[in-house]
Amino acid sequence: MRKAMVLFACLFVATAWASESGGHGEGNEPSVPDYILHHVADTNDFELEVPLSHPIHLGAIPPIRIGSCAPVMTDHGLQAPTGWPGLMAGCLDLSITKHTVMMWLAALLLIGTILIWSNRDKTKMVPRGTGANLIEMLVLFIRDEMAIKNIGKEDGPRYVPYLLTAFFFILFMNLLGLVPWMATATGNLAVTAGLALCTFFVTQAAGIRSAGLGGYLKHLTGGVHWTLWIIMVPVEILGLISKPFALTMRLFANMLAGHIVLFFLIGLIFILGHPAVAAVSVPFAFAIYLLELFVAFVQAYVFTLLSALFIGMAVATGHHHDDHGHADDHGHGHSELGPSHDHGKAHA
Amino acid sequence: MVEQEPPKKVASDGSELGSMARHMRAAEPYVSAVWKLVGGAVVGVLGGYWLDKKLGTAPWLLLGLSLLGICVGFYGFLREMARLGKRK
Repeated sequence: MRKAMVLFACLFVATAWASESGGHGEGNEPSVPDYILHHVADTNDFELEVPLSHPIHLGAIPPIRIGSCAPVMTDHGLQAPTGWPGLMAGCLDLSITKHTVMMWLAALLLIGTILIWSNRDKTKMVPRGTGANLIEMLVLFIRDEMAIKNIGKEDGPRYVPYLLTAFFFILFMNLLGLVPWMATATGNLAVTAGLALCTFFVTQAAGIRSAGLGGYLKHLTGGVHWTLWIIMVPVEILGLISKPFALTMRLFANMLAGHIVLFFLIGLIFILGHPAVAAVSVPFAFAIYLLELFVAFVQAYVFTLLSALFIGMAVATGHHHDDHGHADDHGHGHSELGPSHDHGKAHA
Repeated sequence: MVEQEPPKKVASDGSELGSMARHMRAAEPYVSAVWKLVGGAVVGVLGGYWLDKKLGTAPWLLLGLSLLGICVGFYGFLREMARLGKRK
């Protein structure tokens, strides 16, 4: 632990030093906020900041566009339309960006780590080794404390694979963002929105599975007369969207804010313009860095917990409908409980 | 066979749920009722504003849909409350 702390401290000082030495040679160096915002933003350019040298640009990857996408005249000249009008014109920008690369890296690391750690000696009952025990602890925690406590004993184990995937993927992305030269993919609104969208679809599927399509659609109408559906259906749909929206903003804001605080503490050295400031700001930044390490786990935990809670509420809504005469669907759920539960155990 | 049935029913009564899940589930119908009240007005006003802009009928659709939204919101809310009262 002490070695790791010394290593992280060295990396911070090296990064700060690199930023300082990189900035001296240029006449029009960017201001600290510009520099920070550039670093937390998603770009097509993957920069490697090497201590004592200028940043290495891995080169921009040209945008991939689908459809005709005719350029239009803007204030900055002839450009491809962006945003919703761009999408309508067929300009779906599927460029590979810094955060996309980080997501791939997180996914690869996740698959590798889990494969290695879960590959235990099947002939022995008790798994051995730090990795296997760590994975077992986390998987059991998510199954017993999140899935079963929020969704229920019967339906909970069915959603454990999704919850595990979400937890570990977010955790790996959060932790990769804390490695020097890497970027935080979860500090990107598009990434967190995508993750929340996955939870949204799983939640709706859980609701449909539990209540049946008829019960689910009936719930969407808010139980009012059909002439009032034109108002009530949008209201209910907005209500459904509000939960994944909260998930999106929470993860995004927490990850982004932590990194900005971290950057600004280091940036104080350059704002105040004296190397002695480093004596204060670097230890502070290091403390925030340790806090961020904790936040990486907490945010992955919170996202998974809330996903489980939302799935549980959707399942409960279905059970409520069952009370009014959809007992067949309920019975169907019972019959599939056994294998799903066993699968969770085998995986653990 | 007969003896195996009761534990399944015990498991489905929600006793294994955590306190947060239990409280959220208990609060959910009330939160949903309140959202109907607020959401009706929101959808009415925003829908009316958007349609007015699109059709150039300002301010009539805004006024009409706002009133309709508020009424439907109140109706949905009171209906839900009556249903919840009956359940108790």
